[in-house]
Amino acid sequence: MSLEHVDDTVPELGQRREILRRAAWLLGSAISAPAALAVLQGCSAKQEPGVVVATKFLTTAELATVAEVAEIMIPKTDTSGAKDAGVPAFIDVALDGLYPQPDRDRFRKGLADFENAAQASGKPFLERDPAARVDYVKSTLTAALAGEHSPKPFILMTRELALLGYFTSKVGITENMEYVPVPTAFHGCVPLSQMGKHVYWE
Amino acid sequence: MESNSFDAIVVGTGMSGGWAAKELTEKGLKTLVLDRGRMVKHGEYPTATTDPWDLPYGNRITQETRQRKPVQTRTSYPTPANQHWFVDDLDNPYTETNRFDWIRGYHVGGRSLLWARQSYRLSSMDLEANAKEGVGVPWPVTYDELAPWYDYVETFAGISGNHDGIPTLPDGKFLPPMELNCVEIDFQKCIADKLGRKLIIGRVANLTAPLTHDQSPQRGTCQYRNLCIRGCPYGGYFSSVSSTLPSAERTGNMTLLPDKIVYEVIYDSDKGRATGVRVLDAKTGAQTDYFAKVIFLCASTLASTFIMLNSVSTRFPNGFGNDSGELGHNLVDHLKAPGVTATVEGFTDVGYTGRRANGYYLPRYRNVGKDKRSYLRGFGYQGRASRSGFGRFYDSDLVGTELKDAFKEPGPWTLNLSSFGEILPNHLNHATIDRTRKDKYGLPVLNIDAVLRENERAMQKDMVDDAVEMLEAAGYKDVKVNGNDEYFPGLSIHEAGAARMGANPKTSVLNKFNQVHACKNVFVTDGSFMASSACQNPSLTYMAFTARAADHAVSELKKGNL
Repeated sequence: MSLEHVDDTVPELGQRREILRRAAWLLGSAISAPAALAVLQGCSAKQEPGVVVATKFLTTAELATVAEVAEIMIPKTDTSGAKDAGVPAFIDVALDGLYPQPDRDRFRKGLADFENAAQASGKPFLERDPAARVDYVKSTLTAALAGEHSPKPFILMTRELALLGYFTSKVGITENMEYVPVPTAFHGCVPLSQMGKHVYWE
Repeated sequence: MESNSFDAIVVGTGMSGGWAAKELTEKGLKTLVLDRGRMVKHGEYPTATTDPWDLPYGNRITQETRQRKPVQTRTSYPTPANQHWFVDDLDNPYTETNRFDWIRGYHVGGRSLLWARQSYRLSSMDLEANAKEGVGVPWPVTYDELAPWYDYVETFAGISGNHDGIPTLPDGKFLPPMELNCVEIDFQKCIADKLGRKLIIGRVANLTAPLTHDQSPQRGTCQYRNLCIRGCPYGGYFSSVSSTLPSAERTGNMTLLPDKIVYEVIYDSDKGRATGVRVLDAKTGAQTDYFAKVIFLCASTLASTFIMLNSVSTRFPNGFGNDSGELGHNLVDHLKAPGVTATVEGFTDVGYTGRRANGYYLPRYRNVGKDKRSYLRGFGYQGRASRSGFGRFYDSDLVGTELKDAFKEPGPWTLNLSSFGEILPNHLNHATIDRTRKDKYGLPVLNIDAVLRENERAMQKDMVDDAVEMLEAAGYKDVKVNGNDEYFPGLSIHEAGAARMGANPKTSVLNKFNQVHACKNVFVTDGSFMASSACQNPSLTYMAFTARAADHAVSELKKGNL
């Protein structure tokens, strides 16, 4: 399995992390849980969001459109946006790895329709000004939700993958939620006012 | 072959095999423990501390996994974080006359690493039902005989729970209970007031406090990460890898060999006893025989059934110990029905912190006391209340800043009920050997043929209707039955009963101490022995019977009876 694929790109960090991981396990309960995890967490290799060396499924042109749609849905505000979170690359990899061919074909055709309809109504999507792009994404989304959307059309597949990619990314999780790797306790009834950020990763 | 001879052989290292290994080695037996899968030592859990962003594909099941594991991915478990614990179905085939979901992990620790840790005792009601109703064969063991063994395994394993005082779900030796959350407390009160039904916190094999003994120094308390299925580096929950196997190892009496596929019990007709097991090395294909005075089959219900059916001799032409013709038959699982969910309004200013590795439990109330239904037996529910997450935005039209602002507040509370019901033992539900097909080791494969029948169909209707009734009685909104949840036998991963125990050798395979009636030095202590399954999660019962069987085996050895 390539679960540590991020580490693989930085071998020395990967090895160091593995050594610390084993050390913590050997120490077992002699080292306190949060302390052990702090060591492990601190040694994660850095992600490089947004850097796509080679695409898996989408063409570079398709990826540019998908990236723009994702960023319109999840823009950079006081927290990172879809592009900062590596969502475009995530969508490309997810389409390659998670979907059977008919779903991928539907996505590609829907993306072409999205582009063609923009062109037909005046201007290619990426050549429009930012406000017009947002309007176009919103109207496409509204139309999709109003119609039959099972199986999901392009715009809703993109939306689902953008949300999944964003909220499983490091910035998406840590900037929008309380991420507590080792909670050590469970409290069943806590006033939101005492919870810091109101949404916890779970 | 002196080096291949031991006092005892244990086949399998999961829930039951771990207990057999611990008990037999602690009582001084030189014990060979065999597992067909790879070695896993406590702490060797590759994804246990992996952050969510380091898991590929948003931790969704990939197409590659679906292609290699078409059966295992009938469940939602084999995600990138977990898929290494589930078998490659193409390399480990079986055939299905009717669909049967055989969900397995071939590695040391087996499914004890993956279980949901729910730990409930059977009661006298459960153990007396077959005799009272004329179903299957009567259980040859009473609750009073079993209770001290439940005490024993609960104390060692560490079971968290509340003393609820419910006669049909006996209390045990508990560590402190986990908490219900605010919405669950509301639901508990509503169904008690309006329907007289009980909701309790789940009884779970996670340590909510230090163990009350000093035999497991490698184990720490639950950290409320709720990532148990990945393996817990803190030893926060019970598995054979974290608990029983380390105890067996410390005795110095255990030889644990991974990658050893046991495919036959060797029977010596002159001695009238089993002398050992035949083994293929999973890596080299080399064949070896190992010998011992006593053999424990703990390979899991269907795997032990396979070994016995495949052990054909002049004395046992229809499979080892199969004088009754019941070997492979009476296969049960726990019945599921579509899950039911609801949205709970209010409670907007409260939440929970920590990730509780547990939910609530609604013990069986159907056909209990004065309640009488058109079907026999009953079911329990499990579930939890939680805040909905980002999935609620998949089909919404919020975009941009509006979407991001909406996400900063927790989603509405939802609450769910999913059920486990009892499937009646039936001779027609069975596994046989399919000799027309071979696996990559050249071994024949198992064929499974089990279907739901009238009693189960009638019960499933109640399982859904009652859930809807309770959620509506509580005043919750948007009550939904998940119609996509079609259940096929096996999916509850509680398969049992294929070598049932009973007092009569003509109608059962094992006696009350899990000994093969026709060959007393072989014990079968995985789910195979279950004369009926009740509706409680079964692992605690396998632990208790295994410890009891090991005690009996050593006592009989000392008396010269084996």
